[in-house]
Amino acid sequence: MGNIFVFIPLALIALTAAVGTVTSRNAIHSALFLILNMATLAAFYVVLQAPFIAMAQVAVYAGAIMVLFLFVIMLLGAEQLEGVVARGRAQVWLALLLGIGLIVSFGAALFVADTPSANEGLLDVIDASPVAVGLRLFENYVFPFEVTSLLLLVAMIGVVVLRTYEQRK
Amino acid sequence: MTEYAFAPLLLLFPLIGVLFNALFGRRFVQPALYEGEDQEEPVAHDHATEVHVDVYEVKTEAGEGVDVDHEEVDVHVHDADAHGALDQQHGEIHNDPTGERWSGWFASLMSLSAFGVAVALFFSLMGHDFHGAVVPLFDWFRIPAADFHVPWAMQIDTLSVTMMLVVTGVGSLIHIYSIGYMHGDPNFSRFFTYLNLFLFFMLILISANNYLMLFVGWEGVGLCSFLLIGFWFDRVDDDGVPMNANAARKAFVANRVGDFAMILAMILLFWTFHTLNFNPIFDEAIHLFEEGQAVSLFGMQFSIATVLAAVTTLFLIGAAGKSAQIPLYVWLPDAMAGPTPVSALIHAATMVTSGIYLIVRSNVLFEIVRVAAEAGDVFPAPTLVAYTGAITALFAGLIAFTRFDIKKVLAYSTVSQLGFMVAAAGMGIYVAAMFHLITHAFFKALLFLGAGSVIHGVEHGHHSLHDHLQHDDLEPEEHGFDPQDMRVMGGLRHQMPVTFWVYLIGALALSGIFPLAGFWSKDEILAHAYNPDYGFFPVYIILTLAAIGTAFYMGRQVKMVFFGEPRHPAAEEAHESPSIMTIPLIILAVLAVVAGAINIPYIPFLQEVPDHPHGFNLLLEQWLEHSIPSFHLSAEGLLNMPYKPPVFSIFVGALSLLLALGAFFLAYSVIYGKRPTEQHEEDPIREVPVFGPIISAFGVLPLDTLYMRYLIPGFNRFADWAAYRLDWAFWHDFVHDNLIRDFFVGFSRFASDVLDDRGVDGALVEGSARFTRAVAGVLRLTQTGYVRNYALGLFLGVVVLLAYFLLVAG
Amino acid sequence: MAEVTIEWYIALSTVLFTIGALGVLMRRNAIIIFMSIELMLNAANLAFVAFARHLGDELLGGQIFVFFVMTVAAAEVAVGLALIVAIFRSKQSINIDEVNVLKG
Repeated sequence: MGNIFVFIPLALIALTAAVGTVTSRNAIHSALFLILNMATLAAFYVVLQAPFIAMAQVAVYAGAIMVLFLFVIMLLGAEQLEGVVARGRAQVWLALLLGIGLIVSFGAALFVADTPSANEGLLDVIDASPVAVGLRLFENYVFPFEVTSLLLLVAMIGVVVLRTYEQRK
Repeated sequence: MTEYAFAPLLLLFPLIGVLFNALFGRRFVQPALYEGEDQEEPVAHDHATEVHVDVYEVKTEAGEGVDVDHEEVDVHVHDADAHGALDQQHGEIHNDPTGERWSGWFASLMSLSAFGVAVALFFSLMGHDFHGAVVPLFDWFRIPAADFHVPWAMQIDTLSVTMMLVVTGVGSLIHIYSIGYMHGDPNFSRFFTYLNLFLFFMLILISANNYLMLFVGWEGVGLCSFLLIGFWFDRVDDDGVPMNANAARKAFVANRVGDFAMILAMILLFWTFHTLNFNPIFDEAIHLFEEGQAVSLFGMQFSIATVLAAVTTLFLIGAAGKSAQIPLYVWLPDAMAGPTPVSALIHAATMVTSGIYLIVRSNVLFEIVRVAAEAGDVFPAPTLVAYTGAITALFAGLIAFTRFDIKKVLAYSTVSQLGFMVAAAGMGIYVAAMFHLITHAFFKALLFLGAGSVIHGVEHGHHSLHDHLQHDDLEPEEHGFDPQDMRVMGGLRHQMPVTFWVYLIGALALSGIFPLAGFWSKDEILAHAYNPDYGFFPVYIILTLAAIGTAFYMGRQVKMVFFGEPRHPAAEEAHESPSIMTIPLIILAVLAVVAGAINIPYIPFLQEVPDHPHGFNLLLEQWLEHSIPSFHLSAEGLLNMPYKPPVFSIFVGALSLLLALGAFFLAYSVIYGKRPTEQHEEDPIREVPVFGPIISAFGVLPLDTLYMRYLIPGFNRFADWAAYRLDWAFWHDFVHDNLIRDFFVGFSRFASDVLDDRGVDGALVEGSARFTRAVAGVLRLTQTGYVRNYALGLFLGVVVLLAYFLLVAG
Repeated sequence: MAEVTIEWYIALSTVLFTIGALGVLMRRNAIIIFMSIELMLNAANLAFVAFARHLGDELLGGQIFVFFVMTVAAAEVAVGLALIVAIFRSKQSINIDEVNVLKG
């Protein structure tokens, strides 16, 4: 599952980008950090022998979605807000506490619980080429695939309705 | 018993008569009321009420000289003349003669039909060896839990059939007589409705096979008596007192006392025997008496004779009420307020004898008590019965001496004769009691109807007088004219020959003159009392005195009414009554002569000793022995009282005949012969030394006065106390207002202020609202409206669940 | 040489997810909150792909699931951004602290 010397830099970049996303005062910066983070993840996907997903990640996420974000940010002129962190100390402290709790839980679980046994020896290389993924999609997962189309349609209609409602008001 | 299946017709016929006259009678008698019925029925009712109201005005209006010729329009004016005159004058309501005939004859026909049924029953009994039967009609009611079953069934035996024959026979004659007597009365059909209704209830009383059904008839005839005494309830006397209505009420109330005793007796009988049917009670009573078994009542043990002594004493009180014995006789003289045929039928011949019927019917119970009393075990109720009857006979007879009202004399005479019957029943000679009951029914009905005829004639004469004389010529006292006062009569034998002769026969029969019916029946009683074997010699003395009195006042009455010179112009103008009235009188007169034949006793030297188990050959005796069980018991020795038939005693018979003739003659020629009593004059008998004051004392001090002077005011005071102190002050003001109302108000206040306001409203309703609001006030703080806070909650849930799955569940 | 195991990826995924979650909970800017959500989705995707590799699934369940997540994310972003625009139109702000009309 990849060399440690590949993993650690990539992981550091991903974490840095993530923290940047969350902490940036400027929303544009946040968006750019997020793009970086997504690109890093795409690299991970390649390492993990998922070339199709990696491509989709770059194209759909880092490309289409993040462009949409940037577009909206700039449309609204909402790059900056006063005060990064929300008011309400209790909220902040509780959030931090819960975040630590989550990490601790997982960490403890990694050391304590049995992780599912790896079968690397069995399948050193998996076939996840776009052709393979396409075949799986249209053979084994054709029903969910069709449902997603419906989902997208509904989203599209929803946006249109939302706009129409706005205008009428 | 199929052989008597037609018996219910006996009750059905009078009932049909009641329905006919109640529903259609008025339509026949007064068709004018119904002519415009379809268009304006309310007007018809207005007419009816108008008549009642206008009755009071007629006396004053008569003074205006209304010229109505009663002769020509053929209105027989008598008691009902006021109505007749008024009707003619107003031209609105008058009785249709044809309609009257329909109404009256239909009622009479129903009565005659009932008589026919009674005759058929008589022959049916003859055909069945005198064996009676119980004819069931239907179940009246049944209470399984109390083991109580009362059938509606008719007891057909020689005793009840005898009564049926008398009641329906005499009743039919009186019905027919009434058609003439009531002619012109505005309530003609109502009268016949009541008369038929009376027959119906009387026949229920007679034909009952249990005490409860008998009691239905008992109360029913009491009701009819009330209705008929108060038939002219709208009449008032000079002081405006409604005396007829008062008399009716008095009779009703006096009877209640007796009825209460009857109810107690029935309750005792039911507790003891668990049935009210005659035959089972008698059989069980004999059985218990022979076995000497005790009866458990109120948790104590009583001998059967003790219970029966109480029952029979209560029966005596009941009979005293209905049959007008001391101390409850006071209602009967007042009952003469009713129309005279009613007095004849109900208050002389039939209803008042139902007390005697009750005693005779219950003879077994009386005989058991008598036997037990011989041994000194129980209270001697039958002896009390005998003495009550005897004393009543004498007492009432003495009161009759000084009465001037022709009907009042007969009324006290009736009380007296009922006393003879009760005495006979009390002495255990039930057949003699029944014998006297029958003959008395004939001659007393005859006397009353004759008196009615006299009154009818005198009143008729009085009104003829009115028509011929100008009103200015009338003497002042004319306004107080009483057609029943014997002092305004006299010499009527010339004007009313038929009435005179039948009345004379009735008077002689009542006085006990040989060979009329009264002689035989009265002397049978006297002979038995005279016999020293039975220990009733004091009764004999008392009854003989009463018999002398009877002859005396009858002689006085015949003299005052029919002999001498007319003492008032009205008597001169009197005319004989129409034949519809005289024919029943003649029939009754014949019966009063020959009725003694039904029980002419065994006369030793005239007849061979008859071959009969009881040693007698009397017709009525043989006939009734089939339904008087104590005869058989005594014959079999069960009651240790061998029954001996009354034997005619020549000594007793001759003595009483002589005394009666002497008394009759004394009254007729000595005391009243020379000095006919004028109106407002003292009775000459009061001037007789020694005897006169005694009679006067009886005249002014009857029980009536005692009741009125002491009992009634005391009762009024008690009622006053009960009403104002007990009921109003204590019960209403204190118990209701203070205890019940105040407590209730307090409780209500507690319920409304504390329980409802604070409990239900405060704690439950508003409390739950306040609780909800308080909780919501806290919980709403969590609803900040900030998405972040909600997201935090969501995240908390995620972390907790993940930690659980990873660390605990994993 | 030291091969990276599945645990490493899980740890990385967890940290990324937590950072995203904290961003959602602590930031005021609605768009940044939205982007934090995307971050969380990506963290989950990483775990999916890593497990797909780890388990060597013939049917590529993990990868296909990521594919669907992306689709849903795309739809979500479209609607979500439309909502943000709508809120901005009415409130002239995308500060979520100013949106509390549902306050109880």
